[in-house]
Order: sequence, then C-alpha cells, then structure tokens
Amino acid sequence: MSVLKRVQQWATFARIWHVYDATWQNPFQSAELLKKYLMGIHKPIYHPMNDCGDHVIVINSLDIALPGNEWAKRVYFHHTGYPGGATWTLAWELHRKDPTMILKKAVYNSMDGNLQRRYTMERLHIFPDGNVPPELMGNVSNQIRQIRPMPKRLDHYTKEEVEKFPKIIDYPKDYILR
Amino acid sequence: MVFTTIVNCVRARGPDEFWRKRRIFKLAAHYIGRRRNCYTVAIKIVHRALVYATKGRQLRKQDITELRNARIIAGCEQHGLNFNDLREGLLRCNIMLNRKTLADLAAWEPYSFKALTDIAKQKTKEDGFGSVKDLQAPVGVITRGMSK
Repeated sequence: MSVLKRVQQWATFARIWHVYDATWQNPFQSAELLKKYLMGIHKPIYHPMNDCGDHVIVINSLDIALPGNEWAKRVYFHHTGYPGGATWTLAWELHRKDPTMILKKAVYNSMDGNLQRRYTMERLHIFPDGNVPPELMGNVSNQIRQIRPMPKRLDHYTKEEVEKFPKIIDYPKDYILR
Repeated sequence: MVFTTIVNCVRARGPDEFWRKRRIFKLAAHYIGRRRNCYTVAIKIVHRALVYATKGRQLRKQDITELRNARIIAGCEQHGLNFNDLREGLLRCNIMLNRKTLADLAAWEPYSFKALTDIAKQKTKEDGFGSVKDLQAPVGVITRGMSK
C-alpha cells in the first residue's frame, strides 16, 4: 500500500466530531438527524457492519423545545423490577431532574434495538449548556446545521433597531396600553 | 429392465424409509446434537431452515436495495442534492445508471459520483424542477440541452 493510499484509507475511516446546538430544537426531529451522524449513514461507505459512525457533541440541551403541550403530556415510564416499582415521570419533571435525558432517550429510541446501539450511544455527548470540556471541543471539526432557524428575540435587538423598525400606526396619546 | 438415464439409478427416488430419511439427514449434517442424529428432531429443524431460506432470498434483495439507497442518498446529500432530483436529472440526460452502479460509484469513485451530481444539478437548473432552483449551478458542465 502506497503512502497516499494509506493516508486516504486513514482519512476515510477516521471518526469526525460534530457539534450540534439544541437550542429551541425539537429533540425528536433532532434525534433522526443525529442518528445519521452517529451511525455513519451520512457517508457513502456506510454498511451495517462497518463501524464508521462519528462523534456528536450536543450543547444547550437545557433549551430544547417540545412541540405542542408535550411537556405536560409526554410520560416516561420506568420500572425497577420489583412489585410496585413502576413510575411514570412527566417530560417537564424529567427535564428538571436531568436536562440531557429527553434528548438522550429520543436518540436511543430512534435507533433500532440491536447489539450496536449501546456502543453507538457512547459516541453521543450531551451537555446541558455550552460548557464542554476543552479536550472534547478540540476534536470538533464540523457543525451540524440546526433543523429550525433560531429567531432573534425582541430583547436581543438594540434600542435603535427597534425604534427604526417601520411602524403601521402611532398609538394615540390617550390610548392605554395594557 | 433397462435404465436409459443415470438419474433413474439413484435409489433415493423410491419410498424406501432409509433413503427418504437420508435426504433429510444430509441437509441436517451441519447441525449439532440430536438435531442431526434423530430424524423426528431433524425434520422439524430442516423444515424451518428451508422456510428461512425461502424467505431469505427475498429479504436479501430488500437489504441490498436498502443499503444501496442509503449509500446513494449519503453521496447526494454531500453535494446538496436529493435522491429524486439525481434520478430525474440523470434520466433526462439519458444517463441510464442503475442503483447498483450509482451506489458503487458513490462509495468507491467519489469524484465520478460528484461529476454525475453536477450533471443532474445542471439539468435541474435548466429544466427548473425539484428543489435545486435556488442552488448555485455547477461551473463547466455542459448538458445536451445547452449544446442545441
């Protein structure tokens, strides 16, 4: 094998580190996206028995957005194995206990249950905020595009921009704003 | 009695119990324990194995198609194209490549595959179908529609 081919082979099968910002993203749609990177489906060399998955670092998992009233309606089931050991935890309760768990479970459930799934999950690193250990962040060479665009909040605009924004009407002087 | 062909000489054709069981045992030869030595156990396992083999012929084709699709889609998405646009674009350029060839090119010949996506992209731009309308057209690709 020539030097060039050896390097090519090495570069083809090297694991890449991706970073994904989960702020205001639907965790269940994000899971379908992250799954592709974790399992290596995004590479043309993909094969179920080819270990070509990448690492994904997810930041800001505290700020995920669940659709509709799922925070109140989605229930996570756990059973300790003992009689009466069943517990049902609402999504908002689980998120308060561990802000990474909803996303982790979403990714785990999006994959088929086989022997490889646990090892694939080892390549997913979720952090509730932006504080990622520098030894992990140093590996990152790609950012995964967010599914939904992040709208800019009104309080993040400067005062001049808000004032310069075109208005339809001015409120009358005696109009009471509630 | 005169046998015209050699096939008629084979004794396994008759209703003889030994030879009838021997047919099954030959299929069960690679199993372990009683499933290769006892006929009543072996026949069940052999029947099941034959059913699996019958189903497997279809499943194998499905698995291969699934894998090829996954590879082509992965190759397309690297170049910002979706699978349907690639197929439609290549079809309109009269490039009749099947999934096997496309998947092999995507995995083993990434530059050739990129050239194919460029052609498909250019055709998509020209004919204005699919989702590629707002993408930048590739440079230096000439399709048949342009030369007319």
